[in-house]
Amino acid sequence: MNHGQQSGEAKHEDDAALTEFLASLMDYTPTIPDDLVEHYLAKSGFQCPDVRLIRLVAVATQKFVADVASDALQHCKARPAPVVKDKKQQKDKRLILTMEDLSKALREYGVNVKHPEYFADSPSTGMDPATRDE
Amino acid sequence: MKRRRVSRVKFHEPDQSASTTATDFSFSLTRVAVSQICLSVGYRSTSSSALDTLTLITTQFLQSLAGLAASFSNTANRTEANLFDIVNGLQDISLSTSDCFPGGSTLHDTDAHCLIKSAVIRNLSDFVSYASEIPFAKPLPRREINGSSGGDLIRMLRSPEIKSIPAWLPPFPDSSLYLEHCTKEKSDHLWENSDSVIGRETLQENSKSESARGRRGGRLTQNRAKVRFKVERNQSNGGGSRTLDRWDNKEGEFGRELMVKMKMRDEYIYSGEWSIFQ
Repeated sequence: MNHGQQSGEAKHEDDAALTEFLASLMDYTPTIPDDLVEHYLAKSGFQCPDVRLIRLVAVATQKFVADVASDALQHCKARPAPVVKDKKQQKDKRLILTMEDLSKALREYGVNVKHPEYFADSPSTGMDPATRDE
Repeated sequence: MKRRRVSRVKFHEPDQSASTTATDFSFSLTRVAVSQICLSVGYRSTSSSALDTLTLITTQFLQSLAGLAASFSNTANRTEANLFDIVNGLQDISLSTSDCFPGGSTLHDTDAHCLIKSAVIRNLSDFVSYASEIPFAKPLPRREINGSSGGDLIRMLRSPEIKSIPAWLPPFPDSSLYLEHCTKEKSDHLWENSDSVIGRETLQENSKSESARGRRGGRLTQNRAKVRFKVERNQSNGGGSRTLDRWDNKEGEFGRELMVKMKMRDEYIYSGEWSIFQ
């Protein structure tokens, strides 16, 4: 049957694409290290000897975090800039990931984050609102 | 506005003074990775609470994905997850995070002969081919992990004969510890005569006799903590008589229990301490 043959060819192509994708995972280094992912997977009862699948999970997580972060960045950029009197202050204005943007972005992903804004979560909160990380 | 499944996240407070456990260690490693991703997206700095929250959500994402995949593999009578389980788990997650993995419902399309047709996999494939690699910033000190964390990240090298035991189970103790003991036990008596079975039988007998005698005596009373109630004599107090009325109504269903309770009431009525009653 012609249709069957076509679908068979398509299937073959898809298989090749899948194999290629899995092979590309061997060369790709996700930001989240394999051991770390493996630790969290093992914590939930997930067991798999295949490194490619571990990397697939790592890539999926990385994509999730990157998407959330870029959404939060869009929220940050879309917010009207506060009136700045000092030019120097304007220069210092950096893109800061805040709870406000993050919770807005996460709400789109089905996570409802509630965090009191006045909450001092670290000793350095009062001194420097944006602790530089990395 | 589309209504999506909303889950609550408990906010985790990192304790500065606590010693570094395996959980803290893995959390701080994830924190580094997440901050790298944030940096790659375009952020230059983060507030620490936001970073902690995002890190926590990352770990929750990983664990929920792992849990889903593991449950899929267990449903299929397997202990090891494979690609299908992960893709199924991703599909399930994509239903709630539709912005991240669009097209989550296309996996079970009859035309989709292959997993690459799954939109999730296609997205990830695109992500791998287009997103730039950001290797983890810091080298992982594996030796130190094994030394400091109490067995959580330890991966013991297993001998080939016990390869069938899953890797996430704790390692066996040294064989010299249990081998002799087991052989002695075997030669002495059969399994039916072992202590555990004998103990169970006596327990059953006890419970039978207990129910026949109205659940007095037996083993339970020895270890049972005393429970005090404010129920007073049923003739004088309205509350007590009310509870008795309720039992009378249920006489058909809990007839025996009621008898026991009545007996116990007769017994303990002046002592002031009652057995578990309500």
